[in-house]
Amino acid sequence: MNRFKLFPALAMAALAALPYGHAQAQTTLNVATAGDQNMVDYVNNYLAPRFEKMNPGVKVRAVGTGPGDAGSQKIYEKLSAQQKAGTTAWDIDVAVIHQRGAATMVGEKLLMPYRSQVNVDKLVTRDTATNALGANVDGYVLPMFHSQIAFAYNPEVVKAPPKSFAELAEWVKKNPKQFGYNGVKGGMSGVGFVMGWVSANAGIGEKLEKGPYDPGQKAAIEKSLGSLKEFNQYVVMTPGNAGTLDMLNRGEIAMGPVWVDMFYTWQADGKLNPKVKLSLPSPGLPGQPMYYVIPAKAANAQLAKKFVELAESPEVQAEGIVKQFNWYPGIDPQHVQSKLDAASWNKLFTDISPSDLARYGRPFPLSEYFTDIVEGYERVVLK
Amino acid sequence: MRGNEATRQQRTGLALVSPALGVVALFFILPMLMSVVLAFRGKNGGLTFEHMAKALDLYQNDLLFTVAITVLSTVGIAICAILIASYLTLGGSERTRTALRWLYRWPLFIPFIVTGQVMRTFLAKNGLLNHVLIGGGLIDPGSAQSLLDWRGIVIALVWKQVPFVTLLLAGAMASVDSQHIEAARNLGARRWQVLVDIVLPQVRGTLLVGLVLSFVTMLSVLSVPMMINPNSPTLITVDIAYRINTHGDYAVANALCLLSLLLAAGGAALYLRHAVAKAVPAA
Repeated sequence: MNRFKLFPALAMAALAALPYGHAQAQTTLNVATAGDQNMVDYVNNYLAPRFEKMNPGVKVRAVGTGPGDAGSQKIYEKLSAQQKAGTTAWDIDVAVIHQRGAATMVGEKLLMPYRSQVNVDKLVTRDTATNALGANVDGYVLPMFHSQIAFAYNPEVVKAPPKSFAELAEWVKKNPKQFGYNGVKGGMSGVGFVMGWVSANAGIGEKLEKGPYDPGQKAAIEKSLGSLKEFNQYVVMTPGNAGTLDMLNRGEIAMGPVWVDMFYTWQADGKLNPKVKLSLPSPGLPGQPMYYVIPAKAANAQLAKKFVELAESPEVQAEGIVKQFNWYPGIDPQHVQSKLDAASWNKLFTDISPSDLARYGRPFPLSEYFTDIVEGYERVVLK
Repeated sequence: MRGNEATRQQRTGLALVSPALGVVALFFILPMLMSVVLAFRGKNGGLTFEHMAKALDLYQNDLLFTVAITVLSTVGIAICAILIASYLTLGGSERTRTALRWLYRWPLFIPFIVTGQVMRTFLAKNGLLNHVLIGGGLIDPGSAQSLLDWRGIVIALVWKQVPFVTLLLAGAMASVDSQHIEAARNLGARRWQVLVDIVLPQVRGTLLVGLVLSFVTMLSVLSVPMMINPNSPTLITVDIAYRINTHGDYAVANALCLLSLLLAAGGAALYLRHAVAKAVPAA
């Protein structure tokens, strides 16, 4: 029976699909995005249907290239190969990449300076739109969102979360094996924590963020990592960004650094104890934007610009970025707040106030310092 | 005439194997050589030992850890595989043997990454294993600890590789002439004496091959250490992935690959010696 019912349905579907295939030439807009699966989901489930509706005959195809800097690295390698091969039309139209990737790609002329050619240019104000880890990326990038690392803690165990890294160091001695983080090889929340530690303890915080790069600072960095080695004796190492949240949820640790957006998403999905809260210690933990970029020889550059215009519009930033995916907006929050209901807006700032975020939300250190710190970590802390 | 015939046969033989040889050369030997070359090529294209020095400087602990973990896992696999295979061959209860035969192969069909994922929740401090142990009154909640360190990696690797070695070993044991076993039993040997003195010596070769292949496989597993414990110390595969993914540093990654290749070569040498020893009498 079922088979007979199914057949006419299939035939109808095939017929319904036919006219489109013939009447309009399909253009495919290829969007490559680094980052976790939620980035691909965002493009495919949220942005693509809206863009396709506005632009009949256009199909958006999103591919994920993997989490962390590795994902941006893959996009870089592909564009670089097409550049070296002398290809005239590159097959990525829009890419979403990390700061380190953006710095490299701008340096190697792989990107198009498109910012002045889109109408959302003026909505973006944060300095990350011009400066990526010390590299000048002005004109080439627009932030899709900002994400922030913060301490997640279980208030049943931690009555008053440490307000600074110094307090944290004291706290772990009194509460051994209650703080967990994922080292430098298991994801960026661990890397960010290490960066925050060095910023707080090496006494060169400003220099790490603003430059100029001075290889002579290695000694100060390694000294601060020495104290981190001691700190590590009192903490638990977790398997990855998700691993920290898992252990918090199972009550195996009481505190650890996590990505704020992951934190909210997990809580919304019921994967994390709803009592767990966030706090941002002084002098701060790093956060980062993801950038929309358009490759220098993108095959569909005009469409790509329209795509970024949609993605950066206050409506999409409010509804998609903030409300559905729990990221901080990529454009100036003042344009977003008016498009959002108060509850959604407040949810994002319940534990961490906008002023704390402004004060303690820091950029990652310059690329060179970043490398010095993670390699120093391997040399001093792990060996 | 006969000489001509022989050369012609030789040539036909060569022609027949050349596509296979070509594939091996192009897709296995060439990339391997390139990896070796890149491990020693400096920024200016000259020869340098800088990458190797950095690899050894930063990752010598992980190298030793890798050796220790894989050797320990190999020993664990050997013990488990011998126990299971010998029960399948010599065990008393037919029903238990059938059940065991049916059960032990399962992990063969489960990918490493899934094994890692399963172990991650199974072995955690408040994971399933400890819940069962606490619920059963075997340990008290205070002494429960996470096994997600080197122990977790060893457990996952052994769990995954035992069926493979058991499969080979049980086959070899089944083909041991049953007269030998019966004669020993008639002369009063206990079951474990039959195993140690009669059966194991005859299947030693198969066991060795199975263990060497497992050893080399385990050296290359990335997903299990990544899922269970990517922090230091960890397996060298995690470091290789990290050099490439975080630093885009193929040179040090290649140096690490070369070092891991040397470890595998030790296994390969054992394997070849055994395989050649077996092939020569047959020829």
